[in-house]
Amino acid sequence: MTIRTPSQTIGPFFHVGLKWEGGEKVAFQSSGKSIVLTGRVYDGAGNAITDALIESWQADPEGKAPGAGSAASAPGYSRAATDGEGRYRIETLMPGVCSGANGEKYAPQIHVTIFARGLLKALRTRVLLAEAGSLGGDPLAKAAGPRVGTLIAKQDAKDASLWEWDVRMQGTDETAFLEI
Amino acid sequence: MTARDRMDVDPPYDYPLYKSTVFRAPKQPLLRVAPHPIETAGPVFPKSFAKESAADLTTWGKSAPLGEKMILAGRVTDEDGSPIRDSLIELWQCNASGRYAHPVDQHDAPLDPNFLGQGKVLTDGNGEYRFVTVKPGAYPWRNHPWAWRPAHIHLSLFGNAYAQRLITQLFFPGDPLLPIDPIFNSVPDEAARQRMVCTLDLEKGIEEVALGYRFDIVLRGPQATPMGA
Repeated sequence: MTIRTPSQTIGPFFHVGLKWEGGEKVAFQSSGKSIVLTGRVYDGAGNAITDALIESWQADPEGKAPGAGSAASAPGYSRAATDGEGRYRIETLMPGVCSGANGEKYAPQIHVTIFARGLLKALRTRVLLAEAGSLGGDPLAKAAGPRVGTLIAKQDAKDASLWEWDVRMQGTDETAFLEI
Repeated sequence: MTARDRMDVDPPYDYPLYKSTVFRAPKQPLLRVAPHPIETAGPVFPKSFAKESAADLTTWGKSAPLGEKMILAGRVTDEDGSPIRDSLIELWQCNASGRYAHPVDQHDAPLDPNFLGQGKVLTDGNGEYRFVTVKPGAYPWRNHPWAWRPAHIHLSLFGNAYAQRLITQLFFPGDPLLPIDPIFNSVPDEAARQRMVCTLDLEKGIEEVALGYRFDIVLRGPQATPMGA
């Protein structure tokens, strides 16, 4: 077996090489309900992380993994750097419900990868786009147990297309990050 | 072979010698959960995403950039040896003086108007890739007294599955700054650290024009971590 190439930090200068024009807009082959996922990223001192890179990957509105598309980018995938207030913003479509190998149903959720200076390897997690009360059967919600609240995006009371989800690296409400 | 049998080559999150980890490394252990159904798939980039010209960082300006011209070439495979085909690699680096074309970089070394330091390629059907660039310089940083980063090139890879995503750094053989670089040394295993060091391979270069360096990259397998393994 060959030794893998280890991970290293993205550092503070990644914008030089990793900027995608319109990278925060997710392309799909199919149509669906437009949503915006946005939020801020905080470090353990409560300061906004203004040099993080957030990438997302998700099922299409039918709950299938997006394949190749005719768009200029990769369907189902986004990239957005945090701004001066530590805020990211992703414009996408509501992902569909996915079925696991044993018939288990996954609530709509978006895979998130976080890179930043000070992270020697990426942090991975998933954000749930559903109300807490409707997540009873979701395998991730079950596994997260008492920490599930850190993975649930909050739907805006006035604008139903707007979902807010913050990331906290440390602290009592530290985001539940996943081993994948 | 399960994911658990693999050697964990990655650095820990919590590594205080690299000061930026102190408030950014999560304190709680990562949750082990069943893989979500789309983790073994991954983004598919169109060929147009990495134009052929994006593989050559030395033709961006009006004339050639300063520095030692080099070819960086190698092959991307997974840990079972299968080639990673048609997969996006992004590269960024500072110039030959050790300065990034980035507003946050205030190092008092000159910018090079002919060097931006960004490149993109898709691997070919055999997992091979090739960039033309210049060797980056070392530069000081404020992590600790007398801290200088060894010359390095940042590389971002997608593999063919979401779980294979990797960002790493490439270092150069014989660099005397390697033994004192906390980022390089955050990788605990010596053999794994050497995986991040390229090798001089003159025949990958262009005679009388550019030095050649080989850098093969090994990604994990596409399968997600199994539960309870």
